[in-house]
Amino acid sequence: MGLREGDESAFRYLVETYRDRVFNTALGIVQNAEDAEDVAQEVFIQVYRSISTFKGESKLSTWLYRIATTRSLDLLRSKKSKKRFGFLQRLFGEGNEPELEIPDFNHPGIQLDRKENAAKLFKAISRLPENQKIAFTLHKLEDLSYQEVSEIMKTSLPAVESLMHRAKQNLRKMLEKEID
Amino acid sequence: MSMEKTKQIDEILSGLDGVQRASAPEFFYTRLKARMEKGFEPAMVRKRVLYPVYALAAVVLIMFINAAILVTKQNGTGTDTASVNETETLQSIAAEYNINDVSSLYELNEER
Repeated sequence: MGLREGDESAFRYLVETYRDRVFNTALGIVQNAEDAEDVAQEVFIQVYRSISTFKGESKLSTWLYRIATTRSLDLLRSKKSKKRFGFLQRLFGEGNEPELEIPDFNHPGIQLDRKENAAKLFKAISRLPENQKIAFTLHKLEDLSYQEVSEIMKTSLPAVESLMHRAKQNLRKMLEKEID
Repeated sequence: MSMEKTKQIDEILSGLDGVQRASAPEFFYTRLKARMEKGFEPAMVRKRVLYPVYALAAVVLIMFINAAILVTKQNGTGTDTASVNETETLQSIAAEYNINDVSSLYELNEER
């Protein structure tokens, strides 16, 4: 109730309670800490502005995860567009800076002995189709059940099972090529 | 695929097992509040800057197509079958109504 009235202490409580979940979700998808913080801030700004539209049909966390995944994908698409823009610029003879290599992503929550494998896995995850990426990230990074993932993605449980199965198949194929 | 490779891939696929949730950076709320007070637009809006690029690309494409058509017309005989037929049709209609030359039009006007 305090949130809907724009009460700052209520909003702060919301942020402090859910910030790590939102940040971690965004981080898993965008694979960059600065971008993840940007996304996380935008999630809470959106929540603040549109809390009156939240009908309470789902849990607040479900809603937050949904906004976080949507915003993260929006950022990825926006970065892809900028890459194409850079290509056009080079085509017309402007913007001759060399294309930067995206460094391997190291998630801070991975133990040292698993970092190398995790980096390879994240690289493969970044190439998954969007829905598979979301389902896999929510399940593996946020330890959400398939049921919870289905509520966030507004899809059925069998659909999430299928997404996870295909995600694992695709990851396996990509890793096989990587190892070769 | 060898057992060794399969095992290696299985290990990589388990790379996120036991992962700890990453913590948001320090002073997250402070920075968030500052951003809200400044009224920053989200990163997505910056995408609108790219729209003129797409428009420019479309214009260039249309120019290329026009140029290609012009060059083709100049290099060709310009007497493709469709345009010849059309010319003949127009000429026969003109002959039927005695409007092959301008002077006949003036005669018609004078008669009026």
